[in-house]
Amino acid sequence: MSTTIPPVPSSLPDKPSAQTSWRRKLNKLVQPLVLLAPAGLWLLVLLVLPTLLIFELSLIPGFRLGQPADGYGIGNYLEIFRPGNPYLQVIGRSLFFAVGSTLLTLLLGFPVAYWIAVMAPARWRNLLLVGFVLPLWTSSLLRAYAWITILRPTGLLNSILGAIGIPGQDWLNRSPAVFIGMAYSFLPYMVLILYASLEKLDKRLLEAASDLGANPRQAFWKVTVPQTLPGIAAGGLLVFIASLGDFVVPELLGGASSMTISRFIFNQFLGATRNWGLGSSLSMILIFAVSVSIALLIKYGDRDAV
Amino acid sequence: MPPTYSHSPHPDGRSSARTSRRRFLQTMTAAASSVVLTNCARNLSNPSAANSPTAGSPSPGGNGNTLYVYTWANYTDEELLKNFEAKTGIRTVVDIFDSNEAMLAKVEAGGANAYSVIFPSDYIVAEMLDKGLLTELDRSRLPGLSNLNPKWSNPTYDPNNAHSVPATWGTTGLIYDPARVNGKTVTDWNFLWQNKGSLTRRVTLINDVREVMGATLRSLGFSYNAKDPKQIEQAYRKLVELKPAIASFLTNGWEDQLASGDLSVSMAYSSDAISLIEEQSSLEYVIPRSGTSIWTDTMVIPRSAPNPDAAYEWINFMLDPANAASVVERLNFATPNKIAFEKLPTNIRNNSSLYPPEDVLAKCEGISPVPPEVADVYDRFWTQLTSA
Repeated sequence: MSTTIPPVPSSLPDKPSAQTSWRRKLNKLVQPLVLLAPAGLWLLVLLVLPTLLIFELSLIPGFRLGQPADGYGIGNYLEIFRPGNPYLQVIGRSLFFAVGSTLLTLLLGFPVAYWIAVMAPARWRNLLLVGFVLPLWTSSLLRAYAWITILRPTGLLNSILGAIGIPGQDWLNRSPAVFIGMAYSFLPYMVLILYASLEKLDKRLLEAASDLGANPRQAFWKVTVPQTLPGIAAGGLLVFIASLGDFVVPELLGGASSMTISRFIFNQFLGATRNWGLGSSLSMILIFAVSVSIALLIKYGDRDAV
Repeated sequence: MPPTYSHSPHPDGRSSARTSRRRFLQTMTAAASSVVLTNCARNLSNPSAANSPTAGSPSPGGNGNTLYVYTWANYTDEELLKNFEAKTGIRTVVDIFDSNEAMLAKVEAGGANAYSVIFPSDYIVAEMLDKGLLTELDRSRLPGLSNLNPKWSNPTYDPNNAHSVPATWGTTGLIYDPARVNGKTVTDWNFLWQNKGSLTRRVTLINDVREVMGATLRSLGFSYNAKDPKQIEQAYRKLVELKPAIASFLTNGWEDQLASGDLSVSMAYSSDAISLIEEQSSLEYVIPRSGTSIWTDTMVIPRSAPNPDAAYEWINFMLDPANAASVVERLNFATPNKIAFEKLPTNIRNNSSLYPPEDVLAKCEGISPVPPEVADVYDRFWTQLTSA
C-alpha cells in the first residue's frame, strides 16, 4: 500500500518574504484583468449596458419618444400576448423562417461537408473550404440584392427556366425567396461546422459496421449520423439563431406579407408608430429566444466545431 | 489510505476573500448600470434638454464652415453642393432619410445637434413645432421669402412660415407601365382594386401609413384626414383585399423593377416618378381622379443646430430664383418659388404631372396631423395590415 507523504517542510524552498508575496498577489489579480479588460469593457459597454437599457424601456408601457416616462409595468408584454393583436403571428412567422432555413441549410450543407471531409482528396480540402467561405467576404446586403436580380420575374432564374422550357417562377416577395436568401447566407457557417465535426469521424467504426454486415445506408444512419450529432446540433442552432434575428433578407426579399420580428422591431422604432416601449419588449423576447438557443448550443453542441 | 484533503486550499489562501471581492465588483457594476439607466430613460423622455448645443460633447457639425443637411433622396446633387460652396465657401455634407417618421425618431433621440438644416414634410413640421424642436426664423435674414408663390406664404401647418420655408411640393400618384396593364389606362386609385387579379404582386405602395390609408380613404369618398374610426376601418378592410396584389411597401426602390417590367404599377411621389419617366419615357404618371395628397417639403433649422449661420445661407441660396430654377430642371421636383417658376423652360412649366392644372389641384388635400387617439387608430390598422 503506497502512501503519499507530504514533503518535509525543510526540503521545500524558503517561503518568499511577505513583500514579494504581496506583489505576486497583485500580479495574479492584475494580469487576468489586463488581458480581459479590452474584450470585457467592449462587451460591457456595447452589449450589456444597451441590453439593460432596452430592458428598462420595455418595462415602460407604451413609451413613446419625447413623452414623459409614466411609470413601470408589464403592459408592453401583455400587449404582445393579447389575442387579437398580430404580434404572436409575427413571432410565429420568424420561427417558421428560422426553422425552415435551418432545415434547408442542414439538408444542403451536410452532403457538401461530408464530401469535403470524407471523400474529397486531402490536398483539395482547404481550397474547397475557402471556396465556401468566400461569399462571406462580400456584404450580406449585396448578396440579398443579388438574389433580387436572380429571383425577380424578369430575372436570371426565369431566363434560364424559359430557355429550358419550364414556366417562370414567381418567388420574389414571398416566403420561398426568404428561405432561399437565408439558406444562402448561412450555408457557409453550416458547412464549416459540419466539416469540423465530420473531420473527426472515426472511420474504423464504419469498417467495423460493414464487417458486421451493415450496408452503406445503415452504416450512415447508425454510425455516421450519431457521431456527428453534436456538430449537427451546433450548426443547426447557430443558423437558427442567426436567421431568427435576420433583418436584411426578409426586408429585401420578403415583400409585403412576410413581416418578421426584426422588421417589426424596426417599424416600431423608426416607423410611424414610434412605440419604443413595444419595440423594446419585442427585442427582449428575441434576446430571450436567442439566449435559450445559445444555452442549448452550449449544452448539446460540439464545442470544438463552433 | 492516502491522505486526502477535503478541499484544496487556494495556494495563496484567499478563497473567501476572492468571493467577497467578486461580489463587491458585481454590486458596483449593478449600481453603476442602474444609475446610467435612469439617466438614459430621463434623457429619452426629455429630448430638448439633451439636444441643446451646449450639452454633451462637441457635435460633428460644430466647426466653422461645414453645413450638415438632412434631407430626402434626390433633393440635392453634386452640382448644387459645388455651386453652394463656390458662392459661400461652406462645405456641405448631406445625409438622407426616406421617411418623416425615421427622421423624427432620429431627431428626438438626440440626433438633432448634428444637422443645421432638415427637410421635413408639412404635417411633420406641425408635429415638430408642438415638440419645440424648431427655431423661429429671422425673416430679416431671409430676403428671398418674397419670391414664394402666395399660395405657400401662409400654410396651415406653420402660419406665415414662421419656422419653415417651403422648398418643394408635389403630388402622390400612380406611375405605371402601359405595356403591362393590358392596354387599359389608369385614371384612379380604384384601378388597383378592379385589376387586382391580374396584378398579383406587381404593385408597390408607398411605405407611409398616412399616404396609403389616405389614398384608400379617398377612393371610398372620405377625406385623407378622416378621424372617424369606422371610416379608417373601412379603408383597412379595403386594403386587406388588395394585399395579394402588393409586392411590397416601398417609398424608393421600386424604380428598377418598374423599369424592367417586374412591377406594373407603383404608388410614387411625383418627383421620383418624373425622374424615372425622364429615363424611360414609356412609363406614365397619373394623378388619380378622385384626388390625392399634395405634399410640401420644407426647410427648417432645428433648435440645436450647430451652424445656424450656414443654415441661413443655405436657405437663401435655395430661395434664389436662379438656383431654384436650375435645381428644379435637374432634379424634377416642383418649386413653390414664383420667380423661379417663371424662369423655367416652357416644356417644364406645362408638364401637367409636375404642375397639375388648378382643377386637379382643387381635389387634392394636404395631409395634416390628427389627434393622438386617431393616430393610434391609424397605427393599429397599419400594423395589422403590414404584419399579416
